[in-house]
Amino acid sequence: MQQLKQAAESNVNTPRITSPKALEDYRASLASKYGHDVPTVIICCGTGCRPSNAVEVAELLEKGLAEADFQGKIVPHVKATGCHGFCSRGPIVELEPQGIFYQKVKPKDVPEIIEKTIKGGELIKHLQYKDASKKVFTHTNEIPFYAKQSRLVLKNIGKINPFDIDDAIATGTYGALAKALSSMTPGQIIEEVKTSFIKGRGGAGFPTGIKWESCASQIGNRYIICNADEGDPGAFMDRSLLEGDPHRILEGMAIAAKAIGSNRGYIYVRLEYPLAIQTLTQAIQQAEAMGLLGDNIMGTGFNFKVSLSMGAGAFVCGESSALMSSLEGKVGRPRPKYIRSVEKGFRDSPSNLNNVETYANIPDIILKGGEWYKSIGTKESTGTKVFSLTGNVHNIGLVEVPMGVPLREIIFDIGGGVPKKRAFKAVQTGGPSGGCIPAQHLDIPVSFESLDQVGSIMGSGGMIVMDENICMVEVARYFTHFLVEESCGQCTPCREGLIRMEEILERITHGEGREEDPDTLEEIGKFVTNFSLCGLGTSAANPVLSTIRHFREEYETHIRHKKCPAGVCKPLYSLKIDEEKCVGCGICKKRCPVNAITGDKKKPHVLEIEKCIKCMECHKNCDFAAVIVL
Amino acid sequence: MKTLKIKIDGKEVTAKPDQTILELATENGIYIPTLCHSPALEPAAMCRLCMVELYEGRRKKFVTACNFPLRRDVEIKTDTPDIRQGRKLIIELLMARCADSPLLQGLAKEYGANVQRFSDLKDDCVMCGLCARVCEKVGGKTLTLSGRGVEIHVNTAFSEASEFCIGCGSCVQICPVNSIVMEDVAGERILKIHGREAARVKLVHCEMCNKHFGPVIDLTKVMSKFDKGAIPPSNANICPDCARIKLAKRIAGRYYDTI
Amino acid sequence: MAGIESKCTEPEIDYNVLNSIIVDRYNQNRENLIMMMQAIQKQYRYLPITALRYLSDKVQVPLIKIFEIATFYASFSLKPKGKNIINICTGTACHLKGTGKMVEHITSKVGIKSGETTPDMLLTMDNVNCVGACAVAPVIVFNEKYYPEADLSVINTLLDQAKSE
Repeated sequence: MQQLKQAAESNVNTPRITSPKALEDYRASLASKYGHDVPTVIICCGTGCRPSNAVEVAELLEKGLAEADFQGKIVPHVKATGCHGFCSRGPIVELEPQGIFYQKVKPKDVPEIIEKTIKGGELIKHLQYKDASKKVFTHTNEIPFYAKQSRLVLKNIGKINPFDIDDAIATGTYGALAKALSSMTPGQIIEEVKTSFIKGRGGAGFPTGIKWESCASQIGNRYIICNADEGDPGAFMDRSLLEGDPHRILEGMAIAAKAIGSNRGYIYVRLEYPLAIQTLTQAIQQAEAMGLLGDNIMGTGFNFKVSLSMGAGAFVCGESSALMSSLEGKVGRPRPKYIRSVEKGFRDSPSNLNNVETYANIPDIILKGGEWYKSIGTKESTGTKVFSLTGNVHNIGLVEVPMGVPLREIIFDIGGGVPKKRAFKAVQTGGPSGGCIPAQHLDIPVSFESLDQVGSIMGSGGMIVMDENICMVEVARYFTHFLVEESCGQCTPCREGLIRMEEILERITHGEGREEDPDTLEEIGKFVTNFSLCGLGTSAANPVLSTIRHFREEYETHIRHKKCPAGVCKPLYSLKIDEEKCVGCGICKKRCPVNAITGDKKKPHVLEIEKCIKCMECHKNCDFAAVIVL
Repeated sequence: MKTLKIKIDGKEVTAKPDQTILELATENGIYIPTLCHSPALEPAAMCRLCMVELYEGRRKKFVTACNFPLRRDVEIKTDTPDIRQGRKLIIELLMARCADSPLLQGLAKEYGANVQRFSDLKDDCVMCGLCARVCEKVGGKTLTLSGRGVEIHVNTAFSEASEFCIGCGSCVQICPVNSIVMEDVAGERILKIHGREAARVKLVHCEMCNKHFGPVIDLTKVMSKFDKGAIPPSNANICPDCARIKLAKRIAGRYYDTI
Repeated sequence: MAGIESKCTEPEIDYNVLNSIIVDRYNQNRENLIMMMQAIQKQYRYLPITALRYLSDKVQVPLIKIFEIATFYASFSLKPKGKNIINICTGTACHLKGTGKMVEHITSKVGIKSGETTPDMLLTMDNVNCVGACAVAPVIVFNEKYYPEADLSVINTLLDQAKSE
């Protein structure tokens, strides 16, 4: 994309920063180009918006603005950013400094935006955001999805061009590194992080400061590793951070390196995130060219080099020892060792591994202090947490809230609740290692401790909302199947135990469940938890155990009555059109791939069950809830 | 040297730092079952049969005895109801792979396992990984665990008969369920894994008795690993029986003119 | 997997290309093995045995270790892939929105399961566990292009497209 290339080229001429003071001066010089009051058209070009032609919209905007006659007025410049986090409304266009928010912008809307809004100052109704009650919102910061969030880590995302280091520097990035390098000792940095009491955002929730301290106390070459192998299906917090604000992560890693006494860092990123690989590659190059990474950073004599390493498709490589094996170019099997990686990790040397979001939190902790950070969130879980809210919820996207906010607020106030007037059934947190939380626990505050108490985990921050049409037994089967495929296979409980659990779940979802099955699942599940080798195995039974704990009656309905009330397990339900509810709109008839539905317009339709293949297209698309599951 | 005070199954004993629980137990005559362990190899902690309970203060942890290094004074229980239940399940799960193994059958009896609890997977391997590990350490780097998850199995590169096998037979010796077969047929040693030919190694022809005896090994390559100047022994092409006879004859030759 | 082996003839291996990957780009460093294999796979659309043997020799890693890596990581394939690749996201958000049914649909329409290739070598179906575009679920990726909020009609169009090439 042209604009991105320009950004890259312009950086060739950027100066080398030779002192912390020089960074401040350089930042001040950028204000005229990147200041808040500079007219800018922002378009989200993250992975979520790209499939909906965001890049084309950006190009058309750029071209249109270049060609338009502004009669001497300042021509706004176009900025392609990383993921806004409001992907369900993408592509998103924002007009700064007014803060006007347009959603679902198509290439054909571009001339209208330029003519009416940019030149004429007039709002375009059909591009504005409306909530479920049809209320129209003009500005980004008024929209409930954004208004109720506290964006600290995500602050720059959707605001800066991730390919342009100047844009990052203008917002203050690398300022914390300058502070750490010029006025703090490694001990002071670690103390600050310990005071903040931030816990690792990758899932296990180990206090980061303590980890740093114990790594710093080791002898030998130390390594700083960033776990960007975001493997949890349904989670994309790290992807958005990598794509939208890569310099913040590099800055966090460099601060960790200074604190721990390391000069070598690695980022292990998923192959499935091609855009993140691009942004990171360029960010590292730019930062090295400017002397913000590499040798003699900001003239302080501190060296820290970062390399990128790509995974090759293995969920288990998110486990720290497996990740380090993979970094060494080996098979990513967790190591059978009771020695922590801060002692002996990558290359058998002390290695500090943190998740993307953890590193992204560090610059603010250094700039504003651990006490400030601790004031956000709860006593045990400090700071904010980014969640990727997906599934059956109105507003799908990234949500950053202080720890301790109730689940209900995230799902209903920010997320806008469950669409199509369906009932909320459960929220799945923590990915395949997590569990399903039912409605009665919606008021628990979100923290490492509280989620654990209800049989789930915080995990990396995936949050999948499930409505009444989701079958919990099938969800348990789905996750178990996922883990059967992703288990490394070396230890008996995880390998053999999961196959048997999947076998039983398959049986139940096919209507062949046995009375003793839930108990057997619990027996094997507890065994897998206690006896497995690594974190994947010891948490692998969580989806099954948590669904049995909270939805046991659904298992029993499948087993005893051979019914799937949610209409998911094919052999266990049938469909019928309710004559009283059907208005004869004909949508179902049109959607049915096997012509099993007949009926005249405006008259109740009939579904011929012999022909029906239960694809649910009719059920999904009926606006009158007239297709019912029996 | 500092010693640790360990309580194991009620018995107060001392341990050396970094000694494993399994080593300590063996030293003190306490039996912990294992499938994937060999003192000759690094512990892999794969079978999980050696799981024990570790108590440190009030905290209870499940740890594998084969590779847990003792570093603090702790209490260990090797045979609790939870441990027995877990071992029983491991055996039940593995019986579905290898029902014929006398070793597993013995363990099943000991832990009261229901040997037909799970449907037969029609396999002949307990996935202890010993063969692959010993092959990497002393063999020709012929065997590995390929695939992952359910698909994991002992394999040769590209599932083809391997050219790297040296026919040492370590894998055959170490397999706890006797599933690897090695046969010498018509001047060749054939290694079979999962009933499939995994390697074929030419056998050396004895210069004296004309019988085939061991695999052809590139001795210069082997000797190059030793000190400089090591040359292959003169009787490398003579089978052990004939070598003994030859030696006997040489000794005898000193005392008698003819034999 | 019927019909694959029959057409599986090793492609012509260009050792200059391999050297540029193994030596020039990755320094013959065994820690870069996985990335070298990714580059080789990009070149041939799979990992030809001859190339792996050469790699083993060049980086001094036993062939068996390279085979182990090739079978462990999901993105590697030891079988040639089709000219077109349809990747169905089976991440949680996409699964809940019906990508499981899409996989079944493709299997019933063109007779290949996940990871398989049609006998005419025109289409491979792969599954990927989440591409991180959950907000526009269900997502399918056809020849590296993302198709958001896809349905069976999109799949039918793509299948036709794959066949016509």
